[in-house]
Amino acid sequence: MKPQLTLQTPLEIPSEEISNYLNKLWISEGEDNAGANTFSLIVWQPSWLEQRLVKSNLINGPITGHLSEEVINAAKSLILKNGLPLATSLYSKDLFDLIQVNAIDNSSEDLRGQFFEASISTLNPRRLITLAPTFFDNSDIKTFVSAYCPLNEENKDQTICGDLVVLRGGSNSILKKGLEIVEELSIHDLPAWLWWNSSLDDSPKIFDYFTRNGKRLIIDTANGSTKRCIDILCNALEYKKSINDLNWLRLKSWRESLAMIFDPPSRRTLLDHISQIDVDIEGDHIIQALFLISWISVKLGWIFLETSYKSDSLIIKFKRNNGEQVSTAINPLPVGNPSIHSGQVIGLRLISKISKDPKRNTCIILGSESVECMRLEAGGMADMHLIEEVVPSSFLSSEADVSKLLASSRGSTSPLFEEAIKTASLIFKNINNI
Amino acid sequence: MQSSISNPLRIGLRQERVIPPQCLVIFGASGDLTHRKLIPALFELFLQRRIPSEFAIVGCARRPWSDEEFKEKMSIKLASKISNNEKEWSKFKKYLFYEPVDLQEELQVERLAKRLIKIDKLQATHGNKTFYLSVSPNFYGSGCKALKKAGLLEDPLKSRVVIEKPFGRDYSSARKLNRIVQSCADESQIYRIDHYLGKETVQNILVLRFANTIFEPIWNRNYISNIQITSSETVGVEDRAGYYETSGALRDMLQNHLTQMLAVISMEPPGRFDPEAIRNEKAKVLQATKLADEQEPWRCCIRGQYQEGGNDSNPLRGYRKEPGVNPNSTTETYIATKVFIDNWRWQGVPFYLRTGKRLPKRLGEIVLTFKDVPVHLFESTIINPSPNQLIIRIQPDEGATFKFEVKSPGSGMKSRPVEMEFSYDESFGEPSDEGYVRLLADSMLGDPTLFTRSDEVEAAWKLYTPLIDLMENAPWKLPIHKYESKTWGPSESDQLLAKDNIFWRRP
Repeated sequence: MKPQLTLQTPLEIPSEEISNYLNKLWISEGEDNAGANTFSLIVWQPSWLEQRLVKSNLINGPITGHLSEEVINAAKSLILKNGLPLATSLYSKDLFDLIQVNAIDNSSEDLRGQFFEASISTLNPRRLITLAPTFFDNSDIKTFVSAYCPLNEENKDQTICGDLVVLRGGSNSILKKGLEIVEELSIHDLPAWLWWNSSLDDSPKIFDYFTRNGKRLIIDTANGSTKRCIDILCNALEYKKSINDLNWLRLKSWRESLAMIFDPPSRRTLLDHISQIDVDIEGDHIIQALFLISWISVKLGWIFLETSYKSDSLIIKFKRNNGEQVSTAINPLPVGNPSIHSGQVIGLRLISKISKDPKRNTCIILGSESVECMRLEAGGMADMHLIEEVVPSSFLSSEADVSKLLASSRGSTSPLFEEAIKTASLIFKNINNI
Repeated sequence: MQSSISNPLRIGLRQERVIPPQCLVIFGASGDLTHRKLIPALFELFLQRRIPSEFAIVGCARRPWSDEEFKEKMSIKLASKISNNEKEWSKFKKYLFYEPVDLQEELQVERLAKRLIKIDKLQATHGNKTFYLSVSPNFYGSGCKALKKAGLLEDPLKSRVVIEKPFGRDYSSARKLNRIVQSCADESQIYRIDHYLGKETVQNILVLRFANTIFEPIWNRNYISNIQITSSETVGVEDRAGYYETSGALRDMLQNHLTQMLAVISMEPPGRFDPEAIRNEKAKVLQATKLADEQEPWRCCIRGQYQEGGNDSNPLRGYRKEPGVNPNSTTETYIATKVFIDNWRWQGVPFYLRTGKRLPKRLGEIVLTFKDVPVHLFESTIINPSPNQLIIRIQPDEGATFKFEVKSPGSGMKSRPVEMEFSYDESFGEPSDEGYVRLLADSMLGDPTLFTRSDEVEAAWKLYTPLIDLMENAPWKLPIHKYESKTWGPSESDQLLAKDNIFWRRP
């Protein structure tokens, strides 16, 4: 289990008294302890799966908001037992429908908002606000408050403190009253991030409120229908709202590995002769692969032509500057032990045809493991000049991804991501018209 | 199949750390370093979009220039660098300000403090200030005192001082200066710059050693017979005679740049990649470094001075005939020395360091020569099998070469040496940033990893104290040997190694 952030259990106090309470807390701590001058982090933390599993007694409580091994294993065994595809998302309705919730069981403690990985707490968020919706949409909001001072290993003398607020209640109550409380608790001089730690299909009204609200959004397009994800991203671009996607962040090692292949100037010419790209993904959630292909096409100046399906594979065609066509494919693959993040890229094959003689052509293979590289070698590719790299699959927890983002980003949408979104949305519209 | 275009997939991929809102105050803004290195480096950072919009560069010097004059002068001095980026330069220029200041004049520094408050508001730099002392080393101490007195160093989290080399003239002056500077600011606020540490290839030594499993097990006295560190320049003293006459090669290059390379190549692995962990290890290894013969230091050091050279079409003046140089000068333009490191890893391994002006090539390199194989099974095509060598090229043509023996083609079993090559150009095809780009950015980011800490500086001076004492008190024991311009230093330098049956690598 992750470390508990607060030494004391957060105190339940009426929402209207939170501001006063926090002000007093910092004044009484003295001027030297006025709280970290960093950022606020608001977390939408429904943990629907964990709540269901606990309430149906499939796992023991308390509810922590953490996607623990226990939660993942319980979900995977349900998926297996009920014959769902192995790559079924941990946020999918099909999975939720399998869990019979004992609605009366309220015996488990709900500790959401009190547990954060050290990678986030050591960034010293000044204010951590957790929105913890419960099953009953209209159940009243309860508010809990605490201060925290994570110990900094490097500088043990210097503790930088923050405060923590948990708003627990039904989604409707959060919408009606909770968001108002969040607004009141905003520290206007500090940047505020909203981490939507759930499916993007979840509670659209609350999500839309935050997109309008000028928060720096952190989403994960691995969770949510592709259409909803694309809509959210396009809206953010249209209204110039900062948006950061953990699913895009996870592509970093793929983008870096592919770029690395073409760093030696002697290989640059290969880029002008790319004729085919295949991207293998886990399951059928295509959005990450779509981003990867979009990024490549933008960087190489290709023009999108059309999409089609060939068996399960989505074929996307582009035109290169010299008028020649490039065919790319997204291939959903069944895998034995899929990542907790849906639709992760597991392999990429890129063919650069300089000559009609296959031996003079080059095949570049990136795989998340050597087995995947070997699979992509099939079909005569090994006859070509072969460049293979295994991209280490570093599937971190979402919290670790968030902390990386918080530590490295100033919040604005990455220009590379922005370009990729535009092309991905163009392609996606075309898919829908097939 | 060579292509000169840059890698399109690389564009925008490198995530550089963005400098926080900042006011950089350069003292000595009318000097050479400002327009030759500092402003170009800052402009490069601007082109790389690493400069935030909340930014200001305040030039300070005694000359009574206005903001506009400063901008104009920088535009003229940097004309060749900005000709392709005029639009960007006109945006960058908006960050430039100027305030006439004599650091010795209290009232003027107070006036500067008031001006900085205004600039801070105007540019929204959040009170973050970096003071760059590009002034005569004589003013480092008094400059820091003046800044402290004006209250400009009060906030240790928001203010920093960057100090150029040389930091002191010897061990005692360096200690004294450290004490003065540390009385004005916390050590965490002090950034002693050594631009060699800003070089990509010097940083690469850390990665080469500690990100690979194959090197570290053999990086010790069991496998390495000797290490040579060379930094050579083709130019003479040029227009720096005034400074150089008082410093010489030991103070100008050996004590800082070469010794920092020695520290990086020989330090123990740090527990983590963290500024203090790295600097601890560097300080420790420097504290364990000793001249090869401390009792008779003249036996392990050779000083030289360049003489005339060149050819009829391009005759080169000797050092003593350079403008501004004393015709009887005994300043060394070349120095070679041998040191040992008294620790478990390096006991008995000689480190040879050499640097000089007017040598045949401009280069920086570190050569690790490995021990000979215990038994020679094969005959060599040359006289003896050559020992394995790892050559790390700091500049130019940054990269590394590994020399090893292979079977020479043919029916016999003769061995011959071949080279395995890594070149930054061939692997990455992108030029590395100038050292100042990296170091200026790091200082403003508050990352001291590549800056030298007080104990490192003191240990480096202490190492050469016996030589400095000799040079000052018994110079005849450490005579100046002449060498012809564009040769590899005096022949005595070769003899220093020949005694150990070793030769300088001829690059």
